[in-house]
Amino acid sequence: MVEKIGVYVCECGPNIADNVDIDKVMETISSLPGVEVVERHKLLCSQNGKKFLKESIQEHGLTRIVVAACSPKQHEVTFMKVCEEAGINPYLFQLTNIREQCAWIITDKELATERAIRYIRAALRRVPFHRDLAKKEIETNPDVLVIGGGIAGMEASLLLAGGDRKIYLIEKTDVLGGKVKELDKLLPRMESSLNIISQKIQEVEQSEDIKVYTKSEVEEVLGFLGNFVVKVKIGENKELELRVGAIVVATGFSMFDLKQLPRYGYGQYDNVYTALEFEKMNIDGKILLKDGKPPKSIGIIHCVGREERGYCSGVCCMYCLKFANYIKSKLPDADVSEFYQELSIPGKAHQKFYEDTKAKGVNFIRYDEVEVMDKGIKYKTESGEEKTSSVDMVVLAPAIEPSGDTGKLAEMLRVSQGDGGFFQEEHPKLAPVSTSMEGIFIAGCTQGPKNIPESIVQAQAVAGRILSSLIPGKKLELEVKTSEISEALCIGCQTCLEVCTYGAIYFDEMKRVSVVNEVLCRGCGNCVGSCPSGAASVKHFTTTQLHQEVVEALR
Amino acid sequence: MDNGNILVIGAGVAGINASLSLADSGRKVYLVEQTSYIGGTVIKFEKVFSNMECATCMVAPKQQELLAKENIELFTISEVLKVEGSLGNFVVKVKKKARYVDLKACIGCSACFEPCPVSVKNEFEEGLSERKAIYIPCPGALPNIPAIDTENCVRFNGKDCKLCKEACMFEAIDFEQKDEEIELKVGAIVVATGFSSFDPKEIPKYGYKKFSDVYSALEFERMFASNGPTTGEIKLRNGESPKSVAIVHCVGREEKGYCSAICCMNSLKFVHYLKEKLPDVKISEFCSDLCIPGKSYEKFYEQTKTMGVDIIRFEDIEIKEEGKGISVKYKTDTKGSSLPVDMVILSTAIEPKKDASKLAKILGISQDEHGFFAEKHSEIASVDTSTEGIFIVGCAQDPKDIQNSVAQSEAAVGKILSRGT
Amino acid sequence: MKDEFAPKIVGFLCNWCTYAAADLAGTSKLKMPPSLAVIRVMCSSRVDPVLVLRAFLRGADGVLVAGCHPGDCHYEKGNYYARRRFALLKSVIETLGLDSERLQLSWIGASEGPRFQQVVTEFTDKIKKLGQNPMQKKTSL
Repeated sequence: MVEKIGVYVCECGPNIADNVDIDKVMETISSLPGVEVVERHKLLCSQNGKKFLKESIQEHGLTRIVVAACSPKQHEVTFMKVCEEAGINPYLFQLTNIREQCAWIITDKELATERAIRYIRAALRRVPFHRDLAKKEIETNPDVLVIGGGIAGMEASLLLAGGDRKIYLIEKTDVLGGKVKELDKLLPRMESSLNIISQKIQEVEQSEDIKVYTKSEVEEVLGFLGNFVVKVKIGENKELELRVGAIVVATGFSMFDLKQLPRYGYGQYDNVYTALEFEKMNIDGKILLKDGKPPKSIGIIHCVGREERGYCSGVCCMYCLKFANYIKSKLPDADVSEFYQELSIPGKAHQKFYEDTKAKGVNFIRYDEVEVMDKGIKYKTESGEEKTSSVDMVVLAPAIEPSGDTGKLAEMLRVSQGDGGFFQEEHPKLAPVSTSMEGIFIAGCTQGPKNIPESIVQAQAVAGRILSSLIPGKKLELEVKTSEISEALCIGCQTCLEVCTYGAIYFDEMKRVSVVNEVLCRGCGNCVGSCPSGAASVKHFTTTQLHQEVVEALR
Repeated sequence: MDNGNILVIGAGVAGINASLSLADSGRKVYLVEQTSYIGGTVIKFEKVFSNMECATCMVAPKQQELLAKENIELFTISEVLKVEGSLGNFVVKVKKKARYVDLKACIGCSACFEPCPVSVKNEFEEGLSERKAIYIPCPGALPNIPAIDTENCVRFNGKDCKLCKEACMFEAIDFEQKDEEIELKVGAIVVATGFSSFDPKEIPKYGYKKFSDVYSALEFERMFASNGPTTGEIKLRNGESPKSVAIVHCVGREEKGYCSAICCMNSLKFVHYLKEKLPDVKISEFCSDLCIPGKSYEKFYEQTKTMGVDIIRFEDIEIKEEGKGISVKYKTDTKGSSLPVDMVILSTAIEPKKDASKLAKILGISQDEHGFFAEKHSEIASVDTSTEGIFIVGCAQDPKDIQNSVAQSEAAVGKILSRGT
Repeated sequence: MKDEFAPKIVGFLCNWCTYAAADLAGTSKLKMPPSLAVIRVMCSSRVDPVLVLRAFLRGADGVLVAGCHPGDCHYEKGNYYARRRFALLKSVIETLGLDSERLQLSWIGASEGPRFQQVVTEFTDKIKKLGQNPMQKKTSL
């Protein structure tokens, strides 16, 4: 079929007209094959201009449209809408930019005109190769699987449970509550941790929309956003298959294993405790030495494992200050020393907590190196002085690290692990709780070390992301300009699978070809760039379409 | 019946993000922004730590998406005057100030700037360059539509000037526009008004505004910006490149009584800025405690150290005149010393937005001892306020980085959508 | 003046960063030589080597591929792939008897309007020095 192409040149007031000879453009273009009509307009994006464009498209019965005007970033959407209103598929249109890329940057009017003609010719050659593209929608399952029954997993579940979707909460241990349950008090107000966590557990257990599975683990995950199929192992020998639209990973953290660092004397000397052991001691009500006597002097060591892990865990300084408060309230006469490197106490409430703690007579000692000895702490200051401090109890603040099954889970979910081995977020600034696998979200220490409020915020954020995108009864609209792989040309080398960031390509073992999942594809075209056989193509930016532009550029 | 529409106050990165998610869910969003542009403080940055990503590249797609979104109604140069009602049924009065440029007619060609006879300091550029009375804050600002600043425009000060109107080929300039008061009915409100920077003039020992080459962090940020006043050239007031630079952390920390959380990383970022443009420049970072929490930040610190920077832990510091130049006089725990430098950059504290108390009164929410909006519960309900249906996100609640601001904006969305507000 | 060699350069620009920088250069009215024909792609990783080779075989005096700075890719890692691909492609075009300098990969962020101008101007100058594509009109695809 011979296309009937309409070319519309926008003057953009004086912006294009002053530096591009529009008469000459029109004259040159109108003689080209396929061109049904060439029109100029003072300002095509104005109400009047859009009306003119719409009527002209209809009047001439056009099958392809070229608009020569400004940047597609400015008005591509505007003119696509006009095309739609005029009854033509908006992807049969091309906006070519003769303002930002000709009129405004080329000094010589003749040269600018020449360049504008070239751009229009390129668009003219391109549009016959455009195809009707349609928006696609898929049905989705609004139910959600939450992995991890700690504070983040529970918070996410509670917000997600609104009556119109089911939440499956999978917990590895036999109880909900996670690490927060192992804490005595919460910063900075020193409230009982148990009160807060118990209330959350109760809310979760009472919710009709949340189904909790304890002693359970995820075995297998298939499918993708909107349509995941998950196999869960419950207890010793029960298995369950769940169908969900999204998955939230809130598996928390592990504490750095102190046995790796003998210099801290953990397991070697009596009365050397980890932070969680010290919390337990406080929950039980008494701070006592092995011999049953209260300690007279306690050293709290920060940054244990920081160097080895390569990051600051962000929470230890504050909870070490909290420990000093535990001690001062139970044993007011005990001597407490905080051995720290850098005090990391960001945020509006924490400095005051530090000042108050200091005012209670707590010593702050900055160390460069530290070693635990029997009944003492040996340390080197920043200026190189070696000192010893005798203490009868040591509390260690070990780094936060990814929980033990992070690697296994990441592999199962096809999400990569980033710095420190934590789950890699989709974007460190703008998308901290999603991953490059659409439909898989992360919250709390799964994403990186953080404190309780930040973990809860992330859990709430995950709820925000899911509630705003996976809506019961509403179909999911997909990206239009996705990739496709020709079955006939694909040689089955699977290079495209490797380069796809979004896991949007799978391999059809039967046919021995790669296939694009349109639900996950975002249309970057990396698979096209990597395909050795020319089988991959990205809609609206096909090799043929781009090639036409190249040819015209070099005419 | 409860109203599903949402009011978002502040079009910085947190406000934009919350608006987009709410709009995606099908809600109608009213986004009220005080300035004439969207993007908040983030668009003043050339790059963001710790991956040194170009801030504009990161935020522009979001800004464009916002401007194209049909169910988001954006009010720029606007402020909230009054809020009544409660969760599900707030009645909000918004003052929409006249821009004097028709948003629909203007195409953003900037032909109106040239003839304007006025020249005043550009606040967006931290006063490092001048702008006209009809202006956009910087090239690339969105929406790319100028506004007339009536305080400085000669026409609004008694003269019959209409040069900009004459220069406009699109009849977009309308001196007759009037401020409007609009009433909005919404079910919930998200406050994302951001922060102000501590003014180092308040502490004379830093020599800010006394010595010409002592800059605030934001001033330096704009100096490095490729769309900024020097198109990214780092130079002293005399036009020369600095050979030595001191970056001072924790400026205003003691006075404010808290650590602003982002300044250490931001100051380390400046080393990258400086070394990129001036590989031989000598840099000294004066810090107290290094606050670089999280999985990625220490790696950035280690990398920065290899670029050639002296990190000096100070206990006391003062910027002094020395000869024709300036020097940093400082005390560590063991000694006192003095370091002559060409340029000083002050990493200033984050403080509550200057008009936070006014807005707090209008909204009927409380402020904490520092003046930030007070959350309902610092540990488990940090985006909620004492008033149900009013949420606080980003630096309006507490100093924080972009990641945490964005997470909070999504958290507010989660809270709003989960209740079916 | 106009008889001087006017190089023909094809520029594949990524939608998110460099195309935005080109727009900014435009709105800032930064003047450039009229040598570059811009072709917009969503990501620099979309530009397959075949497209570049075809451009050279068609007589392009230079090909510029420009995208987001490493680490800034809108699609996370696309530009790393582009970088790797082009390192290889440079050696391929050498074997075709073309100076590998004729193919340039540049990173230009969305706020870098002046840098876009600089890259276009400098690349044009470089191509002017290298002269016409020696394969011009020898082959056509």
